[in-house]
This record gives sequence, C-alpha cells and structure tokens, in this order.
Amino acid sequence: MSDPLPTEDLADLYENAPCGYISLTPDGTIVKLNHTLAQWLGRPVSALLSHKFNAFLSFGARIAFETHLAPLLRLQGHVGEIALDLLGADGTKVPVIANAAEKRSEDGEHLFTRITLFKAVDRRQYERSLVAAREEAETAVLAEHETAVLREQFIAVLGHDLRNPLAAIDSGVRLLERETLSDRGQFITQSMAQSVARAALLIDNVLDFARGRLGEGLILERSDRDPLAPVLEHVAAEVRAATPNRIIHTDFDIEGPVYCDRQRIGQLAANLISNAVTHGASGTPVEVHAHSADGRFELSVTNQGQPIPDDIREQLFQPFVRGDGHRNQQGLGLGLFIVNEIAKAHGGTVTVVSTEEATRFTFAMSAMPG
Amino acid sequence: MRANGCASQIGMVLERNNVNINGRGERTMMFAHGFGCDQHMWRGVAQAFEADFRTVLFDHVGAGRSDLGAYDSAKYGDLSGYADDVVEIGTALGLHDAIFVGHSVSAMIGALAALKAPDMFSKLVMVGPSPRYVDDGDYVGGFSAEQVEELLEFLAENHLGWSAAMAPAIMGNADRPELGEALTNSFCATDPAIAREFARVTFFSDNRADLPLLTVETLVLQCQDDIIAPEVVGEWVHDQLPNSRYVLLNATGHCPNLSAPQEVTAAIRAFV
Repeated sequence: MSDPLPTEDLADLYENAPCGYISLTPDGTIVKLNHTLAQWLGRPVSALLSHKFNAFLSFGARIAFETHLAPLLRLQGHVGEIALDLLGADGTKVPVIANAAEKRSEDGEHLFTRITLFKAVDRRQYERSLVAAREEAETAVLAEHETAVLREQFIAVLGHDLRNPLAAIDSGVRLLERETLSDRGQFITQSMAQSVARAALLIDNVLDFARGRLGEGLILERSDRDPLAPVLEHVAAEVRAATPNRIIHTDFDIEGPVYCDRQRIGQLAANLISNAVTHGASGTPVEVHAHSADGRFELSVTNQGQPIPDDIREQLFQPFVRGDGHRNQQGLGLGLFIVNEIAKAHGGTVTVVSTEEATRFTFAMSAMPG
Repeated sequence: MRANGCASQIGMVLERNNVNINGRGERTMMFAHGFGCDQHMWRGVAQAFEADFRTVLFDHVGAGRSDLGAYDSAKYGDLSGYADDVVEIGTALGLHDAIFVGHSVSAMIGALAALKAPDMFSKLVMVGPSPRYVDDGDYVGGFSAEQVEELLEFLAENHLGWSAAMAPAIMGNADRPELGEALTNSFCATDPAIAREFARVTFFSDNRADLPLLTVETLVLQCQDDIIAPEVVGEWVHDQLPNSRYVLLNATGHCPNLSAPQEVTAAIRAFV
C-alpha cells in the first residue's frame, strides 16, 4: 500500500511555472500571461494586458517576428525553437527561446497564439561565442588563402616579367656573336648564351611550378598532327649551341604520330638534357634516344659520371631538391619536378637508373589517345 | 541547337527561382514574397485567382526552395538584382500585360521590374510597400539607421528557425532535401547568411525617386498597425505614384495575405 499522490496546483503551475506563458489574439494583443513572464518583463501583469506583444520585444526581434515568425505561424500553425530578445522595463534584453502554436477553433478559425518562453541567457552566450569563433576561423582561413594566392601570383608575374629583359640579353648576345671577336670574347659570349638558355628554362619551370601550385595544373594541348622528332632535334641543337664543348648524341626512331603536347615534351627533353649536361662528367657524351613502337613512346637521356646517391634518388622528383656538391649550378631544383609533372599529365612515367657506368632517365607513355 | 540553348536557359531561370505555375486564364498574375518568407505566403490568395488567371509563384534566390548556389552577393547587393530575376522569369514565360503582386520589399522589386520591362506588367499591386524604411529629413520611413543595424545584429546572432534550407547542406546531403523536412519549420526557409544580406539590402533600400517614373496602374494595399510599413508610408507611396489607387485594409500587421486573405483577394479582384 502506498500513499496517494499529492495533487498539483494547476493555477500555480501556470502562474509560477519555470517558463513564461503568454496568449495573444490573432492581431498580437496580449490577453493572458503568467507571473513568471511578467517578472522577466519587469512589469505587473495589468500593465501588459491589452498591449501588443511585439512592443515588449527588442527591435530586431520585433521585425523578425513580424516578417518571419508571424507568417510561419500562420502557415504551419506552430513554430519551434525560436530565439527572441524580450525587452525588460529598464531596457535590458532578456534572451529567450520560444515555441509557439496557434489555438484554432474546430472550423479552423485562429483564436489565440500561445507562446511558451524559456530563458536562454547562458545558451545565447554560448551560441554567440560559437558564432564569433567561426567568424574568426573563417577570417583566418581567408587571409591565409589570400596570402598564398598572392605569393603564387607574385612568382608567376615575376617569372613572366623576367622573360622580356632576358630576351633582350639573348638577342644582344646573338648580335655580338656576329661581330669579329677575340678568343676571349667568343668564350664570353658562348658562356653568356649558355646562361641565358639556362635562365630561360628556369623561368619556364618556375612559372609551371607556380601555376601547378595555383591549382590550375599543367594544361596540355595534345595532338598527333605534327611530327615530334623535329621538336626534339631543335631542343638538342639549342643545348649544343649553349654548351659547344659537350657532345650530345641523338638517335630518334619515331614511327608514326605521337599523341602529345609537343611543346611540353620539348620542355621535358630540355630539362632532362640540360640536367645530364650539368651532372655528367665533362668530356663524356650525353646520349638522347627517342623511339616509338607498338603504340608506346619512349625518351631516354643518359650521362656518365658519379651515380645519384640513394638518399637523393628517392626524392628526386620533389621540388627544391638539389644534388649536393654542385652548389649554384642547378638553380631552384625544379627541373625534374617539372619533368615528372609533364610525364604525369601525359599519363606517362619517368624512371631513373643510376650506376657507376651511367645515369639514365627514361620517360615512357602511350603514343595514342585514350 | 539554338532553340535548345534557349529552352535550357528558360529551365535554368524557372528552376533557380522555383517557379510554380497554376490556374488558367488569358492574363497572368505573378506573386512575389517579401523578406522573411517564401512563395507559400501567397498560396491562399493565389488559389482564389486560379479559376480565371494563370498564377505564377516563385521564391527569390536565397529563400524557400530557390537555388542557393545561384546566390551572388554582388548581383543581389541591391533590389535591382532581384528585379532582374523578375524580368527574366517574365521573359521566360512570355509575359505581356500581366499583373504583378508584390508583398513588402517585393512591391519595390516589382516597381523596378516594371521600369526595366515596360510591356511586361500593365498593373501592379503593392501590399505593404515602403520605398525607404529609414527616416530621412522630413520623410518618415519608421526606422532609424541604428534600429536597422540592431536588426542586422539580431539576425546575425539568432538562428530564428530559418536554417531549414541550410540543414541538408550542413549535413553534407544537399542532394537529399527531404532530410531538411525533419526540422521544426518547413516554410519560409532561408539561408541565414543570405537572410542577413537580404535584410540589409531591404531595410537600407531607397526607391523613392523611382515612384514618380512609374506610369503603370498601381494599387496600394495598406494594413493597419503595420510596424514595417506604417500608414504614413503607404500614403506617401500613393501620393508619389502618378497612377495609383489606395486602399486601407481592415487587416492589421504586416502580412494581410496570411492574416486576411479574403480581404486582400477582394481588393485585388476589384482592381483587376
């Protein structure tokens, strides 16, 4: 046998409930509210009855109520979890969360709007700090992104602008070469031509690197209309012209068309050949072979000299990696990185075999579309 | 090819603004919702005209079921961008001599659209219009600039239950809008960030100079006790329009299309 449950005082539950109760006419006039809410509003119940409810909302809440919540209530018959700011008698804002429902007659006529309000001071504080934290994070990410873009753009613009004076130096050197020069003069113009060629290649690489980092990637214009061999011949001839004291053997056996971006493959070859010239033992030849058969195209560049150390070989195709012992010779170390990017863009591969006898880079790809 | 291009362009516009066409009739009546809601607020009134008019309902970009991806802060940085959309919808539907019914800020959007495309609308209905909400010298708009800033701050800090449209996107399920249905409020959904920008554009707009240029026949429907667009503003609009009628409704508040649809319907019917 248990004791009977005590009786709840419903009138007191309404008046002193741990939440606010308010009932409005369809035009928003207050017809009833509980003691709890009157207390939050800092006014006696009698001073609130017959007034418009929206008069006791902050301005922002009032406009949001009229433009968004009132229509929503009419459409749905109820709204839930709405944030509002009440206006206390002394002008202070009381943040609340509200649920509202329309009381309708059996034939659907709108009789009252009933609203239940919960104080939400701490919760609002928490939400505000969340919003602030998100804004801060968004601003930081945006600023970081902008800096990165600016930096990459700077590189791209710089590289582009460097080409003009370099072209002027190049034509100056070519004009000088036509003059009658002393042996010493000839030597100087030759080494100038060599430096110009290397600078041009470096600029191309830096630009491609910056573009790749900008997210544009390498853009290929692949076609198999024109033969590839003349492009490779031209590249080899350029390196020969820049380094007349080095021997560069070429052996091209390209049957049928090769579906590729000829300019890019030329850039790849230029990087590999100039790499071989830089690292190959002086006095030894550089071998350039290109051939295609059974739908595959292969280009290999071989030099003699010291093999590539194992620890460097692993990250050879990463940007900014330089072999040691050749300070100031290799520029930024972007050459092989660009070679690899061009190979990847063509769906091909670059491999390296390096022994005491020779170091050989081989680029291989499909010669046909698809 | 060309016809296909046009058809897909039309489809794009109709989808972007979630355009819904109903009813039958020689003439078309286009309804535009204001700030804070979507085309649902016109449903009751529009249905009353379906027997003898073709009705067109749509959501402004950012509201309701419009394509949120089409939102562009620059384009919608003033009411003209919204008016361009109205003209595009009208063009897509081949509207001529149509009737435009705009609530609240859409009354001015309709005015701008009528100025941009003079043959598209032969009658305008402005429900609770205001060409400028902020007081300016002798002009009474009803708001102070500080109050508008307070409103924007309030919108920035409060979710207000209009995250329904956002929810599927937040959950990474933008392709499954039905997930949004489970949320509390399914009408008048708005992306909160867009709502804030729309509020700024709306409540800082100033279209007073456009009103005298508007020669199209216009009906101004004014509510009582409207804190957004008070009677003095409705009268001012009527005064500035060269060719307008003014009707003060018995309805109170800012949304008579919801609180008193019959009265609004009767007033529009008497006008058209």
